[in-house]
Amino acid sequence: MKPEERPIQNILDELVHGDPVSRRHMLGRVGAAGVTLAGLPAFLSACGGVEGTSTTSSTAAQAAAAAVDHPKVPIGDWTFTNWPLYIDKKVLKSFNKEFGGKVKYVEEINDNFEFFGKVRQQLSSGRPIDRDIVVLTDYMAARWLRDGYVEAIDKKNVPNMSNLVDNLQTINYDPNRDFTLPWQSGAIGLGYDISKTGREITSVKDLFDPKFKGRVSMLAEPYDSANTVLLGDGVDASKATLDQILGAIDKIDEANQAGQFRRFTGNDYTTDLTKGNVWIALAYSGDLIQLQSDNPDLRFAYPEEGAMLFTDNMMIPKDAAHPYAAETMMNYVYDPEVQAKITEFVNYIPPVIGVQELLEKSDPELAKNELIFPPEEVRKKLFAYPQLSSGDERKMQEAMAKVTGA
Amino acid sequence: MLRLSLARRRSLLPWLFVGPGLLWLALFFIIPLANQANVSLQTGNPDTGYAFTWAFSTYTDAISEYQEQFLRSLGYAATATVLCLIIAFPLAYFTAYRAGRFRNLMLLLIILPFFMSYVLRTVAWQLILSDNGWVLARLRDVGLVSDTGRLLATRTAVIAGITYNFLPFMALPLYVSLEKIDRRLIEAAKDLYASPITAFRKVTLPLALPGIFAGSLLTFIPACGDFVNAALLGTSRQFMIGNVIQSKFITILDYPTAAALSFILMSFILIGIFIYARLLGARNLTQAAL
Amino acid sequence: MRRSLRHWVLGAWSVAALFYLFLPIFVIALFSFNDNQGRFNFTWQGFTLRHWADPFANPDLAEALKNSLLIAGLDTLIATALGTLMAVALVRYSFRGRGAVDMLVFLPLSTPEVVLGAALLALFLTVNIGTGFVTILIAHVMFTISYVVVTVKARLEGMDRHIEEAAMDLGATEFVTFRKVTLPMIAPGVAAAGLLAAAISVDDYVITSFNAGQTTTFPLFIFGATRQGVPAEVNVLGTMLLLVVLFLMGANVMLQRRLARRDANLLHRSVSTATEPLQAR
Repeated sequence: MKPEERPIQNILDELVHGDPVSRRHMLGRVGAAGVTLAGLPAFLSACGGVEGTSTTSSTAAQAAAAAVDHPKVPIGDWTFTNWPLYIDKKVLKSFNKEFGGKVKYVEEINDNFEFFGKVRQQLSSGRPIDRDIVVLTDYMAARWLRDGYVEAIDKKNVPNMSNLVDNLQTINYDPNRDFTLPWQSGAIGLGYDISKTGREITSVKDLFDPKFKGRVSMLAEPYDSANTVLLGDGVDASKATLDQILGAIDKIDEANQAGQFRRFTGNDYTTDLTKGNVWIALAYSGDLIQLQSDNPDLRFAYPEEGAMLFTDNMMIPKDAAHPYAAETMMNYVYDPEVQAKITEFVNYIPPVIGVQELLEKSDPELAKNELIFPPEEVRKKLFAYPQLSSGDERKMQEAMAKVTGA
Repeated sequence: MLRLSLARRRSLLPWLFVGPGLLWLALFFIIPLANQANVSLQTGNPDTGYAFTWAFSTYTDAISEYQEQFLRSLGYAATATVLCLIIAFPLAYFTAYRAGRFRNLMLLLIILPFFMSYVLRTVAWQLILSDNGWVLARLRDVGLVSDTGRLLATRTAVIAGITYNFLPFMALPLYVSLEKIDRRLIEAAKDLYASPITAFRKVTLPLALPGIFAGSLLTFIPACGDFVNAALLGTSRQFMIGNVIQSKFITILDYPTAAALSFILMSFILIGIFIYARLLGARNLTQAAL
Repeated sequence: MRRSLRHWVLGAWSVAALFYLFLPIFVIALFSFNDNQGRFNFTWQGFTLRHWADPFANPDLAEALKNSLLIAGLDTLIATALGTLMAVALVRYSFRGRGAVDMLVFLPLSTPEVVLGAALLALFLTVNIGTGFVTILIAHVMFTISYVVVTVKARLEGMDRHIEEAAMDLGATEFVTFRKVTLPMIAPGVAAAGLLAAAISVDDYVITSFNAGQTTTFPLFIFGATRQGVPAEVNVLGTMLLLVVLFLMGANVMLQRRLARRDANLLHRSVSTATEPLQAR
């Protein structure tokens, strides 16, 4: 299916412009970020709405969200668990200084499923996991919500939530953001070394070009790789079915058998790409900005067929001991000034409005960077992850594991 | 106070000595392993939970499905062990007999790389073997690798990595067994007109066998279960059974299969040790291995 | 002359083998001086000393190293004590079940680390022990005990029993004999075992990764960082650790040489005792 033939896109466009909430936000905000980001919000909400799979907003969960009350208490010692190099540590220091207490910041998440495996048993037997904020990617966040492992956010304690960009105000698994709050977003696209490829890389199809045989690396996570392949085939990946995903995995398998892919990677594609071992990598947008200072020939392209958009979300695990501290931190990083510091360090897409304006003053180069602030035409073609049931998700994982040899 | 006879005390004493260590191993090795044995016979899935059903089929399924990775693990580990022996034997021989006053320096140099982090060393190999690296360029110059060929992400790189990482485990036991040999035996052989080669074959080599055995075990066992080398230096086509176990435990959360694979690997290793011990003529398994 | 040719070939081979062993070490040391601009440290971009100026600048890295050293220290104490006692009993006494104990000590050595780590984690979760510093320590003691037993056993077996028997004949109790005679005699073996335990503990990644909880150790930090760019400070600390070990070993060699004026020095003895056990007896 070609993009222009997508009926859903038309429905979405209608929704975008007809959605009173985003319109109000659009008008309410003079900030460029608010305006340029307007493309996605309802699009994402529509994903949940159209498909009707958002089982998470069960009445019980909604009741919990409505009843939540985390009274103001001293901050004390609390724990924030995140991915490596995903914050400027100065932010933590200033937080401690301003609010008292001491945050124990642990960079222990290297992989969503690996982390889940570590804490799963405690969660499923209803024991607290001794962490007050965890940061997990959409599909894992959805799973935690589905299984009831997340504490509702007391929005009274997070007034800065109003700074959340429009396109993330709602998401299929948590339509009202009662439980999750975006940390950073990024796109999955094509990282390539132009001195090796000899030309611009623009399409998902380039990953399968026999000219680059053995010079391409693929992401091992099927949510990222299989869905990107689907986008390349003109399928709306945000609504992909298990069968479609398995088809994409077959396609990856076939190419892999032929020696097309050099490796299946996590974040570690970065080494191969910088060293010139791999010419094209399925890559995360934020990394490429960092990599360019090591190898100026590196480029990042949003595939012309569209790109998957991932968001990592802050969540308070069930029965966490310090929800107020967690919410205070959430509120703190949703202050545009603070968020700008994080953006300068991590180079991912910030979920907070007004960051671009602040950066225009402090670091105009960065403010112009399309990887951090995607232009409107790119935004229109960013897709959320499809929602899969736990069983389907497992089938997908197993199929991909067979391809990656593990 | 209870008075125990001397004989009684003597029979209790060893248990007093063994006790604390035994307790530790029982609590943190035997019980977890028994637990895993139980898990390996369960069926179910991570969402609905697992239940014990005597599912021996998990074992047969695991073997048929991951035959390739099993064979690859054993093959890579065996190749690396032989390579280690080839590289380390002359090194150990030189250190024991020819290094003179540099002997301690040599020993020190063999041990020293151990103290650099294992992961960091393997990452360094990624840089050394990379497509634009010096090593590959020289190999291309002499025609050992085609112009489009590569080293990294190949079987060669994985085996080389394993060989590298376990080389000291081979070199040290070899050194010790060689060093212990009474040199007068070799002199005697030569006095009896044995050629140096015959003397080596008939005297030195048999006396060094314990070292060869110990070194081989120390290399082969960890190499079989290794997954870091395949993950960092190989591709999916080089993945070993360690990678599968790791992924089953951590990503797929298929605990029964992971546990079954673990036990299959362990039994392969134990059978391998047993056969190897027999081949080298050790009388008794535990005696040989310990 | 054939003899000198053989000698030369042997020497050249050894030098080549050492070069192979040290090649990655050189690369790691070299990149500790890399003036890398971005977050990644893969390509050479010029010489700088700035990473060496403040290797502990990254507090998480410093914390990870501290944890590793602390765990290695405690592990060495516990595993060496428990393992030495076991070795003494296994060599000095014959008792029912000795074969089984022997086998039990050998099994962890033949079990892949993935299996050990995962099995232990499952246990901790079942009995509701939160993973962290203590569970890492428990795991490390579990898998280093066997190395200690095997190492000390070797030393014991090479020892003359008659001295201990003489002590007992002179009226010393078993405990006194153990403390005053056996222990001093096996001291080099115990020292070697401790060294081995420390080296294994400080470098363990696989088992630790399963049981670490929120605690980070040096290898865990490095592995986490390989995905996001290993900071050059890691290379600095790795190289520093190596230099400290080199210095200690060198000093030891010198000291031994001065004290003993004999060929056998502690390094040599340590290596012998550390590996002897693994030789068939």
